[in-house]
Amino acid sequence: MDAFVKVRDLRKRFGDLAAVDGVSFEVGEGHTLALLGPSGCGKTTILRSIAGLETPEYGSIEIGGRAVFDGASRINLLPEERELGIVFQSYAVWPHMSVADNVGFPLRVRGVAKAERTARVDRILEIVGLSAARDKPAPELSGGQQQRVALARALVHEPRLVLFDEPLSNLDAQLRDQMRLELKVLQDRLRFTAIYVTHDQAEAFALAESVVVMNRGRIETIGSPREVFRRPRTPFVARFLGLNVWPGTLLGPNADGPDGQRYAQVALADGFSLWGVIDDDHAVTAGTPVVACLRKEHMDVRPLAADRPKSAAGFALSEGQTYAGEVRAASFLGLEEELMIVIAGMELRSVRPASGVGTGDAVEVSIRPQDCLIFRATAGRLDE
Amino acid sequence: MLETALPLAGVIIGILLVLGPFLATAIRSLLFWDAGGGHLSLQNFNALFQDPRFYQAVGNTLLAGAGATVLSCLLGFALAWIVSRTDLPGRRWFEILNLVPFFLSPYVGAVAWIYLAAPNSGMLQTWLGALGISLDFIRIYSLGGVIWVLALFYTPYVYLFVIAPMRQMDAALEDAARVHGASFWYTLRHVTVPLLMPSLLSGALVVFVTSAGLFDVPLALAATRGIRTMPTEIFQSVQYPSDFGRAAAFGVVVMAATIALAILQRQYLGRRRFETVSGKGYRPRLIRLRWRGRVAALALELVYIGGGVLLPTLAMMMVAFSAIWTGRLNPAALTLRNFDYVIFGYKLTQQAILNSLFLALAGATIGVMLALLQAYYLNRGNAKRPALVDAVLSLPLGIPGIILGLGFLIIAIRTPLYSTLTIILVAYIARFFPFATRTVSGMLLAINPELEQSARASGASWLQCVRFVLMPLLLPAIIAAWLMLFVIFIRELGATILLYAQGTETISVALVLLSEHSSASMAALAVIQIVLLLGAFLLFRLTRVSLVQS
Repeated sequence: MDAFVKVRDLRKRFGDLAAVDGVSFEVGEGHTLALLGPSGCGKTTILRSIAGLETPEYGSIEIGGRAVFDGASRINLLPEERELGIVFQSYAVWPHMSVADNVGFPLRVRGVAKAERTARVDRILEIVGLSAARDKPAPELSGGQQQRVALARALVHEPRLVLFDEPLSNLDAQLRDQMRLELKVLQDRLRFTAIYVTHDQAEAFALAESVVVMNRGRIETIGSPREVFRRPRTPFVARFLGLNVWPGTLLGPNADGPDGQRYAQVALADGFSLWGVIDDDHAVTAGTPVVACLRKEHMDVRPLAADRPKSAAGFALSEGQTYAGEVRAASFLGLEEELMIVIAGMELRSVRPASGVGTGDAVEVSIRPQDCLIFRATAGRLDE
Repeated sequence: MLETALPLAGVIIGILLVLGPFLATAIRSLLFWDAGGGHLSLQNFNALFQDPRFYQAVGNTLLAGAGATVLSCLLGFALAWIVSRTDLPGRRWFEILNLVPFFLSPYVGAVAWIYLAAPNSGMLQTWLGALGISLDFIRIYSLGGVIWVLALFYTPYVYLFVIAPMRQMDAALEDAARVHGASFWYTLRHVTVPLLMPSLLSGALVVFVTSAGLFDVPLALAATRGIRTMPTEIFQSVQYPSDFGRAAAFGVVVMAATIALAILQRQYLGRRRFETVSGKGYRPRLIRLRWRGRVAALALELVYIGGGVLLPTLAMMMVAFSAIWTGRLNPAALTLRNFDYVIFGYKLTQQAILNSLFLALAGATIGVMLALLQAYYLNRGNAKRPALVDAVLSLPLGIPGIILGLGFLIIAIRTPLYSTLTIILVAYIARFFPFATRTVSGMLLAINPELEQSARASGASWLQCVRFVLMPLLLPAIIAAWLMLFVIFIRELGATILLYAQGTETISVALVLLSEHSSASMAALAVIQIVLLLGAFLLFRLTRVSLVQS
């Protein structure tokens, strides 16, 4: 895989705030990279810097072997010189033009002859499914249609790189799911290189070959969707992906498990300690502050049987660790239910097939050590 | 790069246009000539502050401004409320008609009111006298007359300021008061008016500053009786035997007061940005007037539109179409001769019409171009201290035309620019470009920058982006700003009166010159001006652009 877009040590401040604080990544040709993170993490600033709409203070950006920005040699190409397509969250469909005029604009400013322009506009409109709306004035379009116009406009001139700035977040949930699928189909068909900014992990995982999770101007983790999802590398990423995250201290030295992973035990609260996979290159000693993370789906919850021991935290990978707890709240989500369970004063969220457990019920919770991830509390940048 | 250089150039030109006359006036106010020649001194200020006429003029100005402001606020608020919140039949028409005085010339209005209400000979006296009603109590040549005519012409300012928030106000705010037991009047007093107070006060400030500085109306109605206000007093200082030092010192006082007011206003607006009047919520429902309410509302509309538009225009037309005006319309003596003379026979008026058209066309075009560049700089460029730049560029909004005219007169008096149309053009643009900048800026603020950014990202250069995206989107504001400047320049008098010379008279100057001795020609020229202004008003309506907050 050849890197088509290379971003090196990008930095940009807004007043006292380091919006982007030394970010580097690469995107392979024909690949999609997602910049994922909460609002204010700097992902949009990076996108706008790549588009030439924002000027970073430091670093370099290369697209297709051409430096479009280089802080050191003061290269800073104008947006129109970068050969891009862009889709904004607001769609930015020009209200004074028809659909065809909007879509044909990139060709018009490039001096493409009328006949060819019409042909190419018609072709791309057909691809995005808007042929029927061709001559409609832009203000008459629905949100989803505007979205398609913006998409067609970003693709019609076959740019080297297409930038997406939260393109689906203004759509309602149903349309968003549909557009996400359509976008995927379009990517597979047209094979454009893309950078996709979003705060929605589902979008990032569905559309991108690699995902960059950002926090406060820095990269927390970078990897394929599977890697990022399966093995969050920092407490921030775990929290952002919606895992249970508990602070605690390491109880003992690491132990090698039968599966070849390293395990350690963490004390979370009085009477609540947990074995989990510890993933750290450095030696970690007892007493180190750590966090334990657990996906909401990765636990088993049963009504408490009277004859079972109340708490039996043993290191047995097959049967797991079992704790007694109480359901503080239960919300019905349809096929599933979400429970808030309290174990020894610690809150725990669980999503599981609906079973009719109710508020106030005593339950026992089983957690498999291989599902639980332990990080040093200082890994990455924990905000809070 | 063009992208930064052009808007910056627009801003620099704007700042020079503002600071030039300011500095010239300030410097001139400190120069004093005596037997030993000219030197720096505070003598001009000393003399001014010891002169009782200065205090009379200031007092009269404050009185006229305050009176006009109070009356305009009452009228403007009431009229806006009638057309936006009641079911008065014909309110759509009144909504348009209420704005017409905004486009007419206050000087012509004042002269027309002399025809209507002058002691003994006024048309109203004649008509109503025939019905046995005496109007002897009306003193049109007085501060009262000045306030009346000013209020007629400045009511639309208040009206425009309050009508938009009145429409957008969340009706739940008023309904909640009614449901919880407040009467209609109690709700109006304790909910509606306080909610609209920021808009009303903004409107009141604009009316006070501009009406107090207006030269036209006091010239026609008060100066002739020896009652001087600030602008007429300054005008008198520059007449033979002229005392530029005194005029400049007076000018500096007015400028200082204007700047102080502008700072106060900015602080006030800065504090009161909360605006309970949001765009959300639901539309206020219309209040059903009972017959007594209808009669009252209709009467108010008739008094306003009658006094501001119909009666003055009718009076001017009667004089203009009569061979000789004797105070009574003689159907046998109707004639077009006055128009023929004014347009084809009389050098002064012919030249004045051409000059005014040139000034209005060229001035509006240049002013709008300047406004576009400045608005771009303020809203799109990465401006350093945009608030300060904006404040400086907004200064002329409050500076009376005659003061700016004085500044440019001081700059130009010993140069070849003196007595040219060019210096008048420059003064017009300097005095009024902020109106255009405001209009364009307001619209630019509402345009999502991503619309331009996606054009740039699609490969358009800055110029292409401006041409294909920005200009079409801004077109309504451009047309509105252009028409507004055109209207202002066609009727402008205060900035012109000190700068004109033989050959560079404008329509308004010619009206003043003719008012002394030739009422027939004057009336005909006034009717021509009214036609030009109403033409611009019709274009305004046809293009459906809005006047909001300019």
